[in-house]
Amino acid sequence: MANREDIALMGHLMRRAGFGASHDELNDRISRGYEATVEDLLNPERFEPVDDDILYRYMPGYEGALGPPLNQAEWVYRMINTERPLEEKMALFWHQLFATGNSKVDNPPELTQQIAMFRRAGLGNFREILVELAQNPAMIFWLDNNGNHMGAINENWGRELLELFSMGVGNYSEDDIKEASRAFTGWTIGPKIPRNPLGRFYWSFEYRPEDHDDGEKTFLGHTGNFDGQDIIDIVVNQPATARFLARHMYNFFVADEPQVPSWNITPPNDPDAIDQLVAAYDESDGNITAMLRVLFNSDFFKEAQFSRVKSPAELVVSTAKLAGNFNGPRPGFNSLAFECAYQGQELLNPPSVESWHTGGEWIDGGALVRRVNFAAGLLGDVSLPGVKSIVANLRSQGSLSPDDMVDACLEMVGPLEVGDITRAELLDEARDGGELRWDTEADAAESEKRVGVMLALIAASRDFQFA
Amino acid sequence: MLTTVAAGRVFDYNYCIGMYGMSGQGFWSPQDFALADNNMVYVISRGAEELGQRISRVTLDHQFLGQFGAFGRGDGQFIWPRAITLDDEGNVYASDDFLNRVSAFDPEGTFIRSWGDAGDGKGELNGPCGIAFDAEGNMLVVDSQNHRVQRFTHKGKHLSSFGKHGDGDGEFNLPWGLCLDDAGNVYVADWKNNRVQKFDSDGNFLLKFEAAPRSGVGDLHGPTGVAVDSEGDVYVTDWGNHRLQVYAPDGRFITSLVGDAQQPSPWTQTYIDANPDIVKARRRVDLEPEWRFRRPVSVRVDAHDRIFVLEANRHRIQVYDKVKDYEEHPLNL
Repeated sequence: MANREDIALMGHLMRRAGFGASHDELNDRISRGYEATVEDLLNPERFEPVDDDILYRYMPGYEGALGPPLNQAEWVYRMINTERPLEEKMALFWHQLFATGNSKVDNPPELTQQIAMFRRAGLGNFREILVELAQNPAMIFWLDNNGNHMGAINENWGRELLELFSMGVGNYSEDDIKEASRAFTGWTIGPKIPRNPLGRFYWSFEYRPEDHDDGEKTFLGHTGNFDGQDIIDIVVNQPATARFLARHMYNFFVADEPQVPSWNITPPNDPDAIDQLVAAYDESDGNITAMLRVLFNSDFFKEAQFSRVKSPAELVVSTAKLAGNFNGPRPGFNSLAFECAYQGQELLNPPSVESWHTGGEWIDGGALVRRVNFAAGLLGDVSLPGVKSIVANLRSQGSLSPDDMVDACLEMVGPLEVGDITRAELLDEARDGGELRWDTEADAAESEKRVGVMLALIAASRDFQFA
Repeated sequence: MLTTVAAGRVFDYNYCIGMYGMSGQGFWSPQDFALADNNMVYVISRGAEELGQRISRVTLDHQFLGQFGAFGRGDGQFIWPRAITLDDEGNVYASDDFLNRVSAFDPEGTFIRSWGDAGDGKGELNGPCGIAFDAEGNMLVVDSQNHRVQRFTHKGKHLSSFGKHGDGDGEFNLPWGLCLDDAGNVYVADWKNNRVQKFDSDGNFLLKFEAAPRSGVGDLHGPTGVAVDSEGDVYVTDWGNHRLQVYAPDGRFITSLVGDAQQPSPWTQTYIDANPDIVKARRRVDLEPEWRFRRPVSVRVDAHDRIFVLEANRHRIQVYDKVKDYEEHPLNL
């Protein structure tokens, strides 16, 4: 039997490297060990991918989605049903870093293709990821590189590559932006068959040598006849790039940092942790898996439990996973996609290329009400399979005192650590009903109802908002 | 190519019907269709989530006559509409693989009844897909997630069943569509086993249609629909490979058709003509991807051996003629 610290640590790992796990899954993983589980997460090819045939057989509208939220719903389906949780979590990481939105692209299948690229390449080498990103049709359209021509540059992609995707403000000049933009001229998308009335067709990356500025450029102190790949080669070797990426990883996987636009004037909360991640980047030539291996096995990660506010996607997906009613194809994934949006994170449609602000900024009055109602509504529903499983677990423990009932419920949903005020409120509720008993059918029915109420209260707590 | 000649058969592309439409004229992720008298076709659309579920009544010459059914659990409504067939009187039957029931309508679309209980016991359903009537007027239902075929009266009284989960002869893995030939033999698209199996009318295994040994040309990836023509040739919608596979009666692979809709349907052409930007955009691209099948999901053959192929992701039906009196042109032209 795993001890409480082991379960807490494994729960922490699965919340951060995935979208949470049930109590049974945590115990299974503990039997393999923490380091072995980290390796399982870092090597998703050990597990079967989501079965696309099954998905598109039962939900054919997802394939080449004609409009949102179908593409968002498909991604939520994958987040819940994947056996490769880190692969999907990294897709979300890259989506939040390389924010690309349907508000402009207006082409849901292309955004889905971009996420598929993150899924495929997201644990690899940062240079390769940036090259794929620069050639990704949705990104090209999003940042206007199809309008970036020899002799008439459009700086949008070149600027965001440096400012938001790799180095951060303060590490390059306006001239560097112009020179980088020249290097990416001719990187564009080919025309495609227009949408409707026969469904969607896909863009493809197109390199047009006649539109590429092959002249000499000076970029970050280097001079040559650079093209886009040369620019990326220089970018990924900048110390600022390693630090910028490390800080994003820390913010996403470890603990909330200040908002990105302030990073050039606000130091990291844990400079030593950033140094460790930078060292991993340097030693591995920018390998993402190597950086994450250091991160997940570090003390700074293990000691950072409940120090991040769950993003809406994390809250919605992890709660739906726990409730167990969205396993496999079924109607209703649209509602989960809408829920993410109502809580402030419309997947595949970030507010701007700067992406969403994170941490405490996920929470405002309206968003908090949505978060609480959603989570309490699911976890308080004792008809759902995941909740039934929690009730069955408590029942297997026999009669429980009110204190033990609170502890057992907290154990089942995380395990979740709560503050004194929350615990006192939960104990008040538990003590009102007295001992949890299962001796008779009437006792069992009443106890089941009380567990549902307790789980709903936990889901409504301040503490539940943290990952 | 518009004309395919193979093993003494000639398949000649004729025309296509349909386009995407969230409602009204058009289809949305259509899953199946049924050919009726008087040139009429019933097409069942799955839509997506809570939109688009319906049965459309159209004609083979592109008239949209109306639609019935909508999203919901009530009488005459659907959550996951899947397959459709007609009885001898022209009444319409449709399966729903989420609600685990079959609904019946009169030819105009007025709801008559529904039947089906969820479960895995005798006569219970889990994910009903393909449906077809036998010569006695009883209905065969592909009970997909129970990996079997069940036979019911048209009012839903259970009569018999065959098949179980597995990959041996007579076993199934998530079967999808089915059809009967004139002799009452039953052909089942054994979706996850990537083959079609043929049974006699009592459910005894006879033959299977799958990849030709070592050739790969007859490979199936998730077959969905199956039909048999008057000469016994078997047509299979090869959903995962986006093509129609044609087999001889003995299971020998004949050829593949990949879709040839070079001329848009009248509905599609009207939509294009009404949008100058679309006209302009189409002049700059290779349109071939548009001609080809995308998720062919159901195939039917009529009394004249015309072959109708429904595409879920192009929301249309492509029609081929099996030409019996074809004369080869001079090859030295």
